[in-house]
Amino acid sequence: MTDKRGIEVRNIGKSFGATRALDGVSFDFKPGEIFAMVGANGAGKSTLIKIICGYYPDYEGEILIDGELKQFSSPHDATNAGIATVHQIINQGVVQTMTVRENLALAELLNGDGGSVLYRPAQIDARAREIAAKMGLDDIDFDQEVSELEQSERQMIAIARALATNPKMLILDEPTSSISERETEKLFETLFRLKEMGVTILYVSHRLHEIERIADRVGVIRDGTYGGVLDAPFNVRQIVTAMVGEIEHVDRHAPVIDGSQTPKIEVRDLVIEAGQPPINLKIHKGEIVGVTGLIGAGKSELASVLFGLTQPVSGEILVDGVPIYSKSVRAAIDNGIFMVPEDRANNAVVADFTIRQNITLPFLQKFFSNPLGLLKHGHESREATRMVKAMGVKCESELSNIGELSGGNQQKVVVARWLMTTFNLLILDEPFQGVDIRSRHDINAHIHANRGDRAILMLAADLDEVLEVADRVVVMNHGQIVGEQHITDIDRDTLLHWTSQSPEDLKLQA
Amino acid sequence: MEKITSFSIKYGFIIVMIASFVGFGLAEPAFWGWHNLFSILLGVTIYGILALGVTFTLVTDGLDLSVGSTAAMSVMMASYFMVVMEMSGIAALVTCLIIGALIGLVNGLLIVKIKIPDLLATLGTMFLIQGLQLIPSGGRSIGTGMMLPNGDEAMGEFTEGFLYLGQGRVFDMIPTPVIFMLALGIVVYVVLEHTRWGRVFYAIGGNAEAARLVGANVDRYRIMAYVLSGLIASFGGVLLAARVGRGDVSSGAGLLLDAVGAALIGFAVLGARKPNAFGTIVGAIFVGMLLNGLTMLNLPYFWQDFIKGAVLVAALAFTFSLAKQR
Repeated sequence: MTDKRGIEVRNIGKSFGATRALDGVSFDFKPGEIFAMVGANGAGKSTLIKIICGYYPDYEGEILIDGELKQFSSPHDATNAGIATVHQIINQGVVQTMTVRENLALAELLNGDGGSVLYRPAQIDARAREIAAKMGLDDIDFDQEVSELEQSERQMIAIARALATNPKMLILDEPTSSISERETEKLFETLFRLKEMGVTILYVSHRLHEIERIADRVGVIRDGTYGGVLDAPFNVRQIVTAMVGEIEHVDRHAPVIDGSQTPKIEVRDLVIEAGQPPINLKIHKGEIVGVTGLIGAGKSELASVLFGLTQPVSGEILVDGVPIYSKSVRAAIDNGIFMVPEDRANNAVVADFTIRQNITLPFLQKFFSNPLGLLKHGHESREATRMVKAMGVKCESELSNIGELSGGNQQKVVVARWLMTTFNLLILDEPFQGVDIRSRHDINAHIHANRGDRAILMLAADLDEVLEVADRVVVMNHGQIVGEQHITDIDRDTLLHWTSQSPEDLKLQA
Repeated sequence: MEKITSFSIKYGFIIVMIASFVGFGLAEPAFWGWHNLFSILLGVTIYGILALGVTFTLVTDGLDLSVGSTAAMSVMMASYFMVVMEMSGIAALVTCLIIGALIGLVNGLLIVKIKIPDLLATLGTMFLIQGLQLIPSGGRSIGTGMMLPNGDEAMGEFTEGFLYLGQGRVFDMIPTPVIFMLALGIVVYVVLEHTRWGRVFYAIGGNAEAARLVGANVDRYRIMAYVLSGLIASFGGVLLAARVGRGDVSSGAGLLLDAVGAALIGFAVLGARKPNAFGTIVGAIFVGMLLNGLTMLNLPYFWQDFIKGAVLVAALAFTFSLAKQR
């Protein structure tokens, strides 16, 4: 007996080493709906998607298709069970050096079904036309090589091929991240048609305005747990609220800022990308400024310029009223500007190094070696031990491999490496990504206690995280600073409004 | 069980090495003679030295395939400088080292600036140098008395001092190349393990982006690794020229694989699981000892490459399979 209940996931959990990526997440996806999945970076969306499409065979919980329990041990299993996936990177889904026809019929081409090893043009052509017709891809030139096509056309081919297996569910992971607005419209038309055909579309995106337009329901994942489901109609603000959560009233003692003093850090008329409006920002002595905004709002770009990774088009950065110039990361560090980058595993941690080696890495030259370059192991060991204790890193010793620590403890080590010495500005880019509550608290407490008269800039998409740390909240949207509030008079609605304004709204105001 | 695993990761290789040392000696007592032991060491010096250069590139997560032909180039150039151009030994030595460093610089720039993958870039320069070294001498080996293209005879010779680099014996016993290899081994060990530069080299190999974001000039370090590799390879070539006393066109054959093999076997020594100077030297000596011992036990010479390959695969399998269980 089969019923049309669609696809259900129940109590899905998944750990990576000591990190709990997902815990007890349940959703149901109905036939013929567009279900959008949202969550902050590192919240666990992509882990869930990978489980559903068979990429991670060892997970906790159940996947049911039309009420029937399924266990996938490979992506191939998932495809056979009716779950087709089109991944974010379009060019991984097509073979660029082949023609449209060959790409459409790739499965037949590779499997040589019927047992033939010969290339059978007529059969390939027939199959390709069949697949294209289903997608409404009639006006495409079958003899064209895929490398000559637009991104959206390549994507259409990938989707068409995914649909060739008559899936019950089509998963689209960030489908609009590399296509233009016009191409996006074409994609949406296709999605609406698929929806009418009864296909469930699981749509993963950071672009909340798109979701507001097309989704029937929105599922939210927060910190690896179930964050609720919204039914249409909804607006971007409601989605953001669901993503970042209700916040308690924050009552915290922030330093009294004397506005007449020279700010510790001043960003003056900084233009990061040609054609964008200039950014102005002051951070006073001992102040922690939190910058929030959705992905792509320009937070990381601002951090890159401050840390000497990219050069601004124009404008100045001043420390204590004196302009500085950082042509490289080294120069920025010499100017006393440090950064804890986002994406710890790829950008910050040297996995096969010990805790000690990870802590001392930025300042080997300054503190831990003599003019001959020989390391002062004793001094290095003492300093590393001191920092491990100060930050409360849970480990056997500073000689343990950093790879053995949990995400939160790794992040403490990464933060510790910059707190060994005095600085002018410390930038924390998404510092709580994949960091447990306890470690968040430890890092937060340490930064608060040791800020002295230095400036700290914290960047995060999650409003909660920013409010946990910052004395002042600045909102960025589409490359500009659109507003700010002091921690003592936070008005959440206004902040969310600023965060979720569309580019058109911003233009109207300007 | 866990203890056994971690013990064998750490000491397994050394135990195998000691066991074979004892075994060969028991089977053939002449194996233990001073003369034989030094001949083992002498036999591994050239590729042992090259392997130290390879270690630098491996540490930065690269690989220099051009070390063999750089060494061969150095053999031909040293001979050409002294025999044909009648330069002094010291001038020939210095010029060869400069050429080696320049080859390394070219490798480094191709990899870092033009962004050719390391294996392809150094494979390219390997062929390029292999061909280039034949051109000055018209494809022939170089020795005193050889006929020059203009009909004259080459009258220069290898100088005494230069030959001493390869043929001398310190205290009438220890071959000079052995001293050079061990000294260079110690220098590379100290640089990699006990200086800040070594730490940064390893950090780049572990996570280049993280190294960049703590202010390391990753490009410059990468280029430097190839420069050092080329420099050390050309020094190996100089020693080889001094040992043979002529510029033999086929002198570079086999050096590359032996050198890369020694550096990779070094991963298994003391459970390092990463390129390291001590392991590289021990790896080189192990292979030399094994071949020497087996030859003494009448193993035919054509078995040698097979044995080397087997040791390499076994050592790598051992290191990486046991490491995974941790």
